[in-house]
Amino acid sequence: MTELKSRNFKRLYKKEIADQKLRENLRKATIQASGKRNDSFSEVDFVFLRDEAKKIKQESISHLNDLLSQFEDNAHENGCTVFYAESPEKANAYILDVARKHEIKKIVKSKSMVTEEIQLVPFLEKYGIETVETDLGEYIIQLAGETPSHITAPAIHKSRTEIARLLHEKIGIEQNDDPAFLTGEARRVLREKFLSAEMGISGANFLIAENGAVVVVENEGNARLSTSAVKVHVIVTGIEKVIPKFSDLRIFMRLLGRSATGQKLTSYVSLIRGPRKEKEKDGPEEVHIVLVDNGRSRLLGTDHQEVLHCIRCGACLNVCPVYRSIGGHAYGSVYPGPIGSLVTPLFFGPENAPDLPFASSLCGSCTEVCPVGIGIHHQLLSMRQEIKPGSKHGLESFVFRNFRKTMLRPGRYKLLTRLARVFSSTSIVRKILKGWTGYRDLPQLPSRSFREIYKSEGGKG
Amino acid sequence: MTDDREKILAAIRRSLRGTDKFDAARNPASPLTSMPQGDFESQFGKFKAELESLGGLAEALNSDADASEFIAEHTGPASSIFIYNEIANLHRSLVESLSESRHVRFGLEFPVGYDKRDAAAFDAAVTGCAACVAETGTVVIRTDMRLPAALAPKLFVVVDSGQLLASLDEFFTDSFGNTDASNLFLITGPSRTADIEKQLVKGVHGPKEIVVLFINQ
Repeated sequence: MTELKSRNFKRLYKKEIADQKLRENLRKATIQASGKRNDSFSEVDFVFLRDEAKKIKQESISHLNDLLSQFEDNAHENGCTVFYAESPEKANAYILDVARKHEIKKIVKSKSMVTEEIQLVPFLEKYGIETVETDLGEYIIQLAGETPSHITAPAIHKSRTEIARLLHEKIGIEQNDDPAFLTGEARRVLREKFLSAEMGISGANFLIAENGAVVVVENEGNARLSTSAVKVHVIVTGIEKVIPKFSDLRIFMRLLGRSATGQKLTSYVSLIRGPRKEKEKDGPEEVHIVLVDNGRSRLLGTDHQEVLHCIRCGACLNVCPVYRSIGGHAYGSVYPGPIGSLVTPLFFGPENAPDLPFASSLCGSCTEVCPVGIGIHHQLLSMRQEIKPGSKHGLESFVFRNFRKTMLRPGRYKLLTRLARVFSSTSIVRKILKGWTGYRDLPQLPSRSFREIYKSEGGKG
Repeated sequence: MTDDREKILAAIRRSLRGTDKFDAARNPASPLTSMPQGDFESQFGKFKAELESLGGLAEALNSDADASEFIAEHTGPASSIFIYNEIANLHRSLVESLSESRHVRFGLEFPVGYDKRDAAAFDAAVTGCAACVAETGTVVIRTDMRLPAALAPKLFVVVDSGQLLASLDEFFTDSFGNTDASNLFLITGPSRTADIEKQLVKGVHGPKEIVVLFINQ
């Protein structure tokens, strides 16, 4: 694995937060997404669904061993091959092996966070296998040589003008920034890829233990094609995606689309039960399911186990004031936002992301919208203690210590607020606080305190 | 290549040793705050409203002849249309009448393992479905050929009125979960994306238009 950029969070976020255009793009997109999410829950009882989903996930994780074995047995019966991979290296090597066995030169791939986590695409490309991202946002990001900046909206940080220029330069289309035009051109180019590729790679949103089915959720129809228009289909997913029953989908399907994009149900839900059957005329001849651990099993039995409940909807990103200001790339991880600030140190080791749990205002908006009831901000708080136990965190600790002392002593409070009124607008103070004032205005304090005004109006001080 | 099955399962067992097993008692109640009434008209009304809010189209028709006429009206005279076997078998008069005005090809003409480029040549596909869900305006497709319905720009789904379910609660049951087919696709409206500045665009990789025709048998 290459070293994670999340080690450099402090440097990365400063660069991103200074980009006014990026902040504007993010603000518009995330406010729109969270508004649509809220509207979409008007017809269903969110609390009922969230509590049911949480219970099912708790059951799934506490019986993970049995459910994985049950899923594996049923998937075998359906004609799939199941491969367990402890590490990204093992998963990548297996997938390369499958591709080589079939002499694959071109792969079409639909969106999958786990493949980003294990850096599958650069790995396959290193071995000369063209691997094309077919989700529009992922395709844009791949052409740009970047990484996704949001779990469900990978190109959220890019404006239409930037995308038009990129597609013009990379695939030679007319420079026109109309989203319908750009989408139509991408459809045309990618359609040819679907028709010429022999292997498809997808992720999985859920694995159903009782019947061995794999559930893939999407809107564009690219996952449907990546799993259907190929001879070999490889599914790459985490071990925590297994749930007990097909009927449990009635809960998760109602939550996922609403939480991710404000849809009652995503445009496509593919329920895949193995390679083509005898009487079927198309569909893959082989289906491989790669179950990746990569640090997940270490979380079981710990206080962070509930992080494995996450269904990767991205709702917590859309409501997070930190994400809205700095965007996904600042986190330096494939998993950005509040959930990424947990998942990254947990999966990749706290030494690789020591600052991410601190990238939160702890306002609790993430916890409030989480469709599976993960106490995200509580988790972040406890991770802070684990990563930097008893950390005084320099200036922050100094400020809070003195804030406490000041609030306990009226004389000191009066003196300091008087000084603040005199000096707050001076350039020396602005210089000292430039980390804050660089991107926002320092609140102007009134020239007289409430007590002074009250006294001058004849009240008793 | 040997996998890490035993290692991973042992690690899970080790980590979970001594922790409580949790068994969720499922609450059978529906999370819907309002449900379409039991009769076909109100459920169809809900289905139509949901699908059309997404840019699809739903019509209730009286006969195969009406459906054939509707499909002809919504496809150009030079259109090439793919007809799934189940439609050819169950709605013969629809197919016969459509064949008179449009160029149609049938699933029967395609061998197992056909060249996928042949499936990309159609302007429209006509398929049946396993079920429809009023709550979300969803059609559930289960076919012996996955590609024509996924690649054609227009998709017509012919449904018998008895196939309409009120809610997802009725769909996610064993009778659909234990299907023998390798695939089951829930399709809710046209293919769509909002990946460019959150602007909604219909018709990315899948059909741009989806029309669901209920035939009152």
